[in-house]
Amino acid sequence: MSLVAQVIAQSDAAERFLSSTELNKLEEFFSKGALRIRVAEKLAANEKKIVEEGSKRFWAKCPNTPSNRGNAQKTALCQRDQGWYIRLVSYCVLAGNDKPLEDIGLNGMREMYVSLGVPLANLRMAMASLKEVAAGLMSAEEMALAAPYFDRLIRAF
Amino acid sequence: MQDTITALINPADEQGQYLNSAALDQLNKYFQRGTMRVKAAGIISATASDIISKTVAKSLLYGDITLPGGNMYPTRRYAACLRDLSYFLRYATYAMLAADASILDERVLNGLKETYTALGVPIDRVVEALNAMKEVLNASVGAEAGQELAVYLDHIIAGLT
Repeated sequence: MSLVAQVIAQSDAAERFLSSTELNKLEEFFSKGALRIRVAEKLAANEKKIVEEGSKRFWAKCPNTPSNRGNAQKTALCQRDQGWYIRLVSYCVLAGNDKPLEDIGLNGMREMYVSLGVPLANLRMAMASLKEVAAGLMSAEEMALAAPYFDRLIRAF
Repeated sequence: MQDTITALINPADEQGQYLNSAALDQLNKYFQRGTMRVKAAGIISATASDIISKTVAKSLLYGDITLPGGNMYPTRRYAACLRDLSYFLRYATYAMLAADASILDERVLNGLKETYTALGVPIDRVVEALNAMKEVLNASVGAEAGQELAVYLDHIIAGLT
């Protein structure tokens, strides 16, 4: 559910036409449309780079972690997941809210990683590293659209 | 409800993919017309009752339907008709903003034709009113937004006939 759908659902629940607050929210969302698309494109084009550079930074801070114990298969899986989270952040930028991240990547996430034996505190550091690298690749204006979703992700772990 | 953004994200996610360039193009077009959509929705919010009055004046007011024996008589039924036209306008506005008709199917059309038939509401007159609403909207929000709204009012018409 995008921000547009969310605003509509809210207005519908109140059984009225859109309020000026709701209209302003939509106006603000649409006014950054081109920028949203640019950010999504940048995240897609740089996913590999963000993950690889992010892993290096993460391992420097946290060397004893499942993705850094010499099991190439495990490393690949961890990095694949990180790439997926970047993809979900790109969806959020386009949707204007964190629903894609919540619905696809956060609901049940803790249970999954606990079951996999991956420490959540380590993942938190890994996600923070992804954010750092992404910030270095984007302008301040672009990153302002993506940062809230990286933050949501970091907070979730 | 579905909206045009979610409708593009969901299939991309099923493939584990970022939105491809065709999907981004579609989204870009939607975003570009966003301000126009919001502006039209603002006009509708501010003048909805006026739009409904004009719609009734253009379609139903001067016919037999408002006389004794007609479906907009007595006043209770006249008011019910206004309420329904207001629903149609509100949900068409939502669908126009979302650029997706699914909210109409879920919240308006589901069971509507059956309800109208059971209540003896003449569907052809409802269609006439919806067509009149398209004209009124065209005049009040402009041709571009009017055309968008017409798509969704036509969707209601198609669901009733």
